[in-house]
Amino acid sequence: MSNAFIKIEDLHKSFGKLDVLKGISTTIQKGEVISIIGPSGSGKSTFLRCINLLEKPTSGRIWVGDDEITDKSTDIMKVRQNVGMVFQHFHLFPHKTVLENITYAPMKVKGISKAEAEKIAYDLLEQVGLAEKAGQYPNRLSGGQKQRVAIARALAMSPDVMLFDEPTSALDPEMVKEVLEVMRSLAETGMTMAIVTHEMGFAKEVADRVLFLDGGVLVEDVPPEEFFSNPKSQRAQDFLEKVL
Amino acid sequence: MDLDFLRIVPSIPFILNGIWVTLLFVLVAAIIGFIIGTILSLFKISNISWLKWFADAYTSIFRGTPLILQLMIFYFATPQLTGYDIPAFLAGILAFGLNSGAYISEIIRAGIQAVDDGQREAAEALGVPYKPMMKDIILPQALKNILPALLNEFVTLTKESAIVSTIGFLDIMRRAQVVSANTYTAFEPLLVAGLIYYLLVMGLTQLGGLLERRLRKSE
Ligand SMILES: Nc1ncnc2c1ncn2[C@@H]1O[C@H](COP(=O)(O)OP(=O)(O)OP(=O)(O)O)[C@@H](O)[C@H]1O
Ligand SMILES: [Mg+2]
Repeated sequence: MSNAFIKIEDLHKSFGKLDVLKGISTTIQKGEVISIIGPSGSGKSTFLRCINLLEKPTSGRIWVGDDEITDKSTDIMKVRQNVGMVFQHFHLFPHKTVLENITYAPMKVKGISKAEAEKIAYDLLEQVGLAEKAGQYPNRLSGGQKQRVAIARALAMSPDVMLFDEPTSALDPEMVKEVLEVMRSLAETGMTMAIVTHEMGFAKEVADRVLFLDGGVLVEDVPPEEFFSNPKSQRAQDFLEKVL
Repeated sequence: MDLDFLRIVPSIPFILNGIWVTLLFVLVAAIIGFIIGTILSLFKISNISWLKWFADAYTSIFRGTPLILQLMIFYFATPQLTGYDIPAFLAGILAFGLNSGAYISEIIRAGIQAVDDGQREAAEALGVPYKPMMKDIILPQALKNILPALLNEFVTLTKESAIVSTIGFLDIMRRAQVVSANTYTAFEPLLVAGLIYYLLVMGLTQLGGLLERRLRKSE
């Protein structure tokens, strides 16, 4: 485990009196895809959001690459440039075109030239199958298309890790597949990914490991075959019975 | 009642010229108000408590006292306190600009808070710093939402601007009063001024509606 790319040590997070994460420790290797699964309110989103410091951990330590991001002297903005995030509700910028959505951060944050940023953006749009939508505004896109643009937008910063918080939960069923396809091929490129999802089939197939959270505790941290066929804990068994 | 408009006809161009005076006045005051309002609104949503406190106190004072009183203070207190003989125009735009800054700050604050929090999170997750995030992502969306309220504020300013006549500034209202005094007519000049204000307000409202539809379509 010495070459872990992300290392999380005894992570706690509370909102006021509510303890949401109660001491989570795990590691993620470079190129690994992990699925985070658990009942509603178990702290999956909070866990994910701690990794790019959208939530500030109450205690515990997190390393991404060589940086301890929980260290006060670490530049949060630098960390975030390196950790892409995709949200359930896309959060595309509605007043910017698809192209501008993707080029904005690379130009503004990294100081890349417009021409270069657009070249990157077109390549990524090609990759997510939306090259012809570059000039459109987000409200002209379907949910699945929006989410693919959101993925391209995050990738445009060339992050080392991608976080996905229920990327398909807000989509109509017929659009889930196109987004999962994009994520699957992204996984095949060797991207390190952490995915909160209710898509058990996808988790089983694509993930290298499943983290099962319940009540803010990491109950299982095992390969998917093991998790789905032979869950050790009672809580995981109960959960799987409900969702499968 | 008999009204005699013929007597004031030669003076009507004089009143009409007040339109530009009033519009220029309102425009300058609105720009000042908008700049102050934007800054105050950013103070109000910041986590720095004394900035918040300052912006809230500012708003409370300017909204809690009559505008005409603020105007009088700027006009009469400035020479007394500083020895500077402040022109009516300057006192007027200061009072109106600072006053409308308080109202506009509330409009913009509400507009910023109405922007989906996900927008801020998405920008933060991309590593975009606070300033460009506000300038490029949050404020443009907020301004679009509050455009009707801002235009409404502009219309209100146009009407309220008549108060500057009290310190002798030669706007539409003051000109009507001057004509009234010179021609010994009480109502006629006021009716003319009233008509001008009404047409101005209607025109601005129309223009605002047009602008709003244009913006809506662009998305
Ligand atoms: N900003 C916040 N302030 C207060 N409480 C919060 C906040 N964010 C999350 N919580 C609470 O923390 C708990 C865990 O929330 P979290 O969103 O991490 O769960 P989740 O596992 O992602 O659930 P879901 O499957 O419904 O998305 C919930 O009880 C939630 O109400
Ligand atoms: Mg969640």
